[in-house]
Amino acid sequence: MTDKFHEEMAEMQRRVLAMGLFAEGMLRDAVEALRRQDIALASDVKGRKRALSSQNDALEEEVYRMIALYQPVARDMRAVACALKVIASAERIGRYGKDIANVVIATTDARESDLATGLSIPHMAGLVLSMIDDSLRAYETGDLQYIRNHSERDDVVDALRHTIFREGITYMMEEPRTITRCMNYLMVARYLERCADHSCKIAEKVHYMVTGERIEIK
Amino acid sequence: MTTQSIICTQGLNLYYGEMRALKDITMSVSDRKVTALIGPSGCGKSTLIRCFNRMNDLVDACRIEGSVDFHGKNIYGNGTDPVEIRRRIGMVFQKPNPFPKSIYENVAYGPRVHGITERARLDRIVEESLRKAALWDEVKERLSHSAMSLSGGQQQRLCIARTLAVEPEVILMDEPCSALDPIATAKIEALIGELKQQYCVIIVTHNMQQASRVSDHCGFMYLGEMVEFGETAQIFESPTEELTENYITGRFG
Repeated sequence: MTDKFHEEMAEMQRRVLAMGLFAEGMLRDAVEALRRQDIALASDVKGRKRALSSQNDALEEEVYRMIALYQPVARDMRAVACALKVIASAERIGRYGKDIANVVIATTDARESDLATGLSIPHMAGLVLSMIDDSLRAYETGDLQYIRNHSERDDVVDALRHTIFREGITYMMEEPRTITRCMNYLMVARYLERCADHSCKIAEKVHYMVTGERIEIK
Repeated sequence: MTTQSIICTQGLNLYYGEMRALKDITMSVSDRKVTALIGPSGCGKSTLIRCFNRMNDLVDACRIEGSVDFHGKNIYGNGTDPVEIRRRIGMVFQKPNPFPKSIYENVAYGPRVHGITERARLDRIVEESLRKAALWDEVKERLSHSAMSLSGGQQQRLCIARTLAVEPEVILMDEPCSALDPIATAKIEALIGELKQQYCVIIVTHNMQQASRVSDHCGFMYLGEMVEFGETAQIFESPTEELTENYITGRFG
């Protein structure tokens, strides 16, 4: 393959990484908005969805263009395939960020008690964000050390979601007025868990890109 | 490789005078599969393919060590007849090289040399061979015309028909499409897919996309060595050797 391909590939990888970080930022800010009950920040996150989609569309088109023009093979093919999968997962992560922002906006009424913190959502979010961060770092550097423990980290996230569900149900039984709010937060826990899954998907694809071997991170 | 192997080389070395052109090649070629050899110019792929039917015998100062077994028998052993070997292991070259004779005579030439004279039988062989080479429908009305009146792609298929006429088991192709346009190339590639139902095909090509499209197994050669040999899909998805990866992704060569 030509130098031109490798230059374009490097540029595309920079843009894929930028999109990943953009999506991660949406999730991070949405969780922060939830923690601070910050409607303005939540609205801001919601407004970034359009930019996320257009990055996704542009990069997807770029991937197809690279395949059509260069017919890459081996590591080049794996890099192009990986880019396509990474942007798909990044888009989902960004959209979950937007969904969480919507929850913040929808639950402005009863803000007397900070249930989200009580439900250890910020703690769960911290774990998920660090997983996403490490997946993107692995993508950027090709260093698989960053994703070595993704499976165990994902197990912790899954366990936390179960805990939050149980806690939420307890709250709701004790105080039926919190039901709407708790239900929304249980959705947030679910979104975060899905984000961790997407970070595992990214990790799997980076592993494939680097080694040529397909693995499943459960 | 699960399918039965038809040609095996063991520690094959080839020297042109002092120059060692092939270094310790040990490989096994499966029957009824397409095996492609790729590598940069001068890496030894044509030299290797020419070892399979003793075409290198014709080169002065060429010396061979090791063995090339065809159905388990060394073709460089005592008592093998190179002419018989070349009948059973046919070859198609880079540039179409039909004889300056009619289309019919081009195909009938080989069987005639091998002693077939009966007209009806020759007619049958010519038709069958041209059909197998996917050329029959294009030339059946003008079998007596000169082969030189055919297009490049048709001439190449005629050469394939000429090879098939003597009922070979293996067909060696040394860059069979490099002198052809994309349409003619696509026809030859489709034909290769047909031929492997009945024959073992070994193809040398500079076109890596072609190797990935037509072959089941693929060998990457560099400086006379077989760097990597394996399933084509694996070679083009995740080759084991760094050198292979660098070559097929165009980082050198």
